[in-house]
Amino acid sequence: MFELVDHTENINRLLARYGVKFGIYKNHEFHEQLFPFDPLPRVISAEEFDFLNRGLSQRVNALNLFLADVYSEKKIIKDGVIPADFVYSSKGYLPQCEKIVPPGKIYSHISGIDLVQGKDKNWYILEDNLRIPSGASYPMIARELTRRAAPATFSRTRIADNRNYAVMLKETLDYVNTGGINVVLTPGRYNAAFFEHSYLAERSGAVLAMPQDLLVENNKLYYRQYGGRNLQVGAVYRRLSDEYLDPLCFLPESLIGVPGIMNVYRSGNVAIVNAPGNGVADDKGIYYFVPHMIKYYLGEEAILKNAPTYLAFYEKDREFILEHLERLVVKDVSEAGGYGVIFGRDLTKEKLRELAEVIKAEPRRFIAQEVIDFIDLGIVEGDHEVPRKADLRAFVLAGKDTRVWPSGLTRFSRNPNSFVVNSSQGGGFKDTWVLSR
Amino acid sequence: MGIISIEKADRLFWLGRYAERVLTTLVAFFDFYDEMIDGDEKAYRTYCKKIAIPDVYKSKEDFQQKYLFDGQNPDSVISNMERAFDNAVVIRGELGTYTLSYIQMALDVLKGEGGKADAPAYDLQQVIDYLNAFWGCMDDQTEDEECRNIIKCGKYLERLDLYMRLGYSAKAIDKEFSKFENRLHRVRLPYRRENEDRLREIISLGDGWREYEKEALEALWNLFEVI
Repeated sequence: MFELVDHTENINRLLARYGVKFGIYKNHEFHEQLFPFDPLPRVISAEEFDFLNRGLSQRVNALNLFLADVYSEKKIIKDGVIPADFVYSSKGYLPQCEKIVPPGKIYSHISGIDLVQGKDKNWYILEDNLRIPSGASYPMIARELTRRAAPATFSRTRIADNRNYAVMLKETLDYVNTGGINVVLTPGRYNAAFFEHSYLAERSGAVLAMPQDLLVENNKLYYRQYGGRNLQVGAVYRRLSDEYLDPLCFLPESLIGVPGIMNVYRSGNVAIVNAPGNGVADDKGIYYFVPHMIKYYLGEEAILKNAPTYLAFYEKDREFILEHLERLVVKDVSEAGGYGVIFGRDLTKEKLRELAEVIKAEPRRFIAQEVIDFIDLGIVEGDHEVPRKADLRAFVLAGKDTRVWPSGLTRFSRNPNSFVVNSSQGGGFKDTWVLSR
Repeated sequence: MGIISIEKADRLFWLGRYAERVLTTLVAFFDFYDEMIDGDEKAYRTYCKKIAIPDVYKSKEDFQQKYLFDGQNPDSVISNMERAFDNAVVIRGELGTYTLSYIQMALDVLKGEGGKADAPAYDLQQVIDYLNAFWGCMDDQTEDEECRNIIKCGKYLERLDLYMRLGYSAKAIDKEFSKFENRLHRVRLPYRRENEDRLREIISLGDGWREYEKEALEALWNLFEVI
């Protein structure tokens, strides 16, 4: 593995050559940055992956059942497992999606589940991303390049090949395709994850589509071809948020949506991957209830644990949060990308008091979690290996079966004092090796 | 035949134009730069006039810096390379990541050399090499013939335009026109046949074409109906 360290510079040069970047807006200006790659991979044994595979599949199956239920019969609310208020006040709940049954009855086709491994060796789920989780392309291309840089390492060690992600993605899209081509719908060149959109389209054989490339006619979705007939679209892997997807249904001012696409979807004439409305299930508040969902829908205990979480919405939990604010991490449920995460230990007494007041005023807006003392992974810094906090985004694909990609995006903080690993906050990434024996 | 949207056809065409613009103007720049080393220090003025860009430069050093590396200058080589990249990056699927990487590397060289190229004809040879590699790779690896033909329509239209302005020989222009027509007849881009016919007539005059230079350039610029 340490051969890879010798090739760090070469690998990063190749990543630059292939345009492995992410975009970021600072002061209203778009900047593209290379995503710093660390050559030392996270290594997961075959046994451990088997455990994760079972736990993650179980979780995503339950979340899909929850989404089907919450947009139809709402049994879980009627049975008092989840308070109605928690569902309906979620920003991710979209009444426009009521009674829609998506092709294949799958809502979350591609789920990005963020986990950390504690120092007690237990894995903890940090959050579920069921809307447009990104990041799979980075370990995919990194693997391609590291295999070139250190072939002997890959000959000696049996590592599950992660370059099959594009095939898994294609199978997932094909499974729900209603007849026509698969497209990856990108908001455009200046989206933060544009590299990923274009790379996944290329690798999966889908057509990369800009919003203006698509049009609705006779309640069907078409891809506009130049100089010829339009082609019907059967599955849209959309990489833009729900609210921008269709100006006739959601934000009327959206310029990046496809007018009428929701009607086509509602009629069962196209699959939208992931389904609109999934935000209700990956809400940081709903996260608290996922183990309850697993029990409710599957009759099983959750294999993977949540981080110990308190809901300010419940009076008892709120009192606990306010008493122990200095040791908890507080999360604003409406934020993402590492924003809205506040560590109580970093605040002055005055700031703690201010935070307590905000929590009291808007309890539905916050959850609080115990800070998981998760393990450090080594990263290369100059000539040294230094420990840094790292999480794992596992990708779970639901089609004919629910499968966990035998790899994942390991993100790490480059700041020794930080737990925040997001790329938008300066973090880097590693490949994730799953040993095949 | 592949799946190409109107947007992508436009991107393919303009990628061809900008990539060719960088390549041909760099080669031409080297010739004028050579003249400026120990000959006419103001040769850049002729260059600007020939390719119809504003002469906003104070000296040969200023020209060397700003024409090559100033991203704020819309006529600079780096600005044209940026535009080639902006068009290429959205058609990764059509080009392939491997082919696209040559455009990325050509841009990276220009960005890296900015402000420190004291021997530009030497330092920027790599840009020319990467662009030539791009054309070879594109020809070899872009699977869809329609895509290749659209890019090459852009490429040869740009080359004809620049060759005419820069005073290349009638033989060279005739050769490029044949290549252009060869691609033009194989794409579905709407164009004005009467412009093509008139261009052919003028170019077939050999050296006599220069008498109709303005008309020839206008016929070329207005050849396509929408792009």
